[in-house]
Amino acid sequence: MVINILEIIISPVLAFIIGIFFMGLFRKITARLHWRYGPPVIQPFLDLIKLFHQQGFSHGPVFDLGIIMALAGSIVLILFIPFGGICPISNSGGLLVIIYIMLFAPLGIALSGGEAANPNISIGISRKLILALGYEVSFLLALLALMTYYNTISLVDIVEAQDNYKWALFSPLALSGIAYFIIMPAMLGIRPFDIAGAPQEISTGPAIEYGGKYLGLFNIWHALSMFVYIALFVDLFLGGGSNPLTFFIKMLVVFILLTFIHGVFPRFRIEQAIKYLWKWPVIISLSGLILITVIR
Amino acid sequence: MDRNDIKKWFKSPDKMGDKYSLWAIYFCTGCGIIEIPPVITARWDAERFGVIPVATPRQSNLFLITGYVSVKTLRAIIRTYEQMPEPKYTVGFGSCPINGGMYWDSYNTIKHLDKYIPIDGWIAGCMPRPEAIFVAVTHLWTLIDQGKAKAYVKYREKYGLYRKNQEMALGKLDWPPLYTTGGGND
Repeated sequence: MVINILEIIISPVLAFIIGIFFMGLFRKITARLHWRYGPPVIQPFLDLIKLFHQQGFSHGPVFDLGIIMALAGSIVLILFIPFGGICPISNSGGLLVIIYIMLFAPLGIALSGGEAANPNISIGISRKLILALGYEVSFLLALLALMTYYNTISLVDIVEAQDNYKWALFSPLALSGIAYFIIMPAMLGIRPFDIAGAPQEISTGPAIEYGGKYLGLFNIWHALSMFVYIALFVDLFLGGGSNPLTFFIKMLVVFILLTFIHGVFPRFRIEQAIKYLWKWPVIISLSGLILITVIR
Repeated sequence: MDRNDIKKWFKSPDKMGDKYSLWAIYFCTGCGIIEIPPVITARWDAERFGVIPVATPRQSNLFLITGYVSVKTLRAIIRTYEQMPEPKYTVGFGSCPINGGMYWDSYNTIKHLDKYIPIDGWIAGCMPRPEAIFVAVTHLWTLIDQGKAKAYVKYREKYGLYRKNQEMALGKLDWPPLYTTGGGND
């Protein structure tokens, strides 16, 4: 009981630290790929200190509540995801719960941005939702293949089934894993799929009216969502981890690969992104699902 | 650079945060903006100083006024400056915002920018080299450290005066006053 409460407190804190570290590493690796020196790895943390002491502008109660809702949605999502041995309430829900709660955070951002009534925000949100329409097809197909193969919806059971290096990525589920990895830049909103928050086109889209502590909360939400999607990939396809350290190392490898993709690719246009997302990941994940149903 | 000085971070996190996370807004008033792309990209990489360009005034706290300011641009500059959250810092870049520079006798150019918005520091030259921006940034750090970069406080205190000057240059302004202080006769 006490350990469970302790885990509930500690896992969002760990996720925050890892997310912020990943954001710093993200900027550093991108800079090194561009042959720049880059900021120190703790730079996002320094930015957070500045943002929380800066003056913030509110645009109304929904503006405040929406961002808190997004943050709360991410924190609840973290509690459902096993992190190494730490899995506070992951026994009580499965992948279906995770799919539902995943909608919470973008919805909060959309509500909060809607209150600010900036035209660029509505463009950004509609782009984000169109993008979600693009990647969620293959995301659901990949999850369906997983659930069919392991015959369970529990994330903990899926992790346990992959014990002793029987990783899903090196099993018949490989196609689903590849599809998930391909759509991951779109989920995280990094290049080549950073159309929702493109600074040069629509002035960072949904984040445009956030300043001061609101932008700080927005950045924390971004860090947490980065953690969630990568942790989910590690849990589903790389066999989780026996302890938090191995889990973290697996996350780091996936994250660095994603950063390389971010560092070298330019941005898709919105219709190019949808065309791409509805073609290759869907083909790969659908053939993965067919393969699973045939061999099962 | 005392960015890794933990003691200072505990002593005054506000000042240190402001110093090492200056976010400059994209705002091209004139030809000076041509010096900014080399500064933020691979050649001179401003990001190692914590200086990054951001797209909106809400997120920024550093305003680089790059090059000459026409009367039409002044309106946008004032609106942008007033939307930035405090604490905010402004730096005039090039000789034109200082005293008109080569546009000293132009009928359509603002000669002394500091009459209309407060300026923390200037970079002289036409054009200043990209290195000059880093000199300005490090100088701004010193000013923040000593508590001298208080132009935004000055704007709040003497708003009436600034507003009067702005109305003289632009005619009637179509937005309400930001502050009620400063009266106009001080």
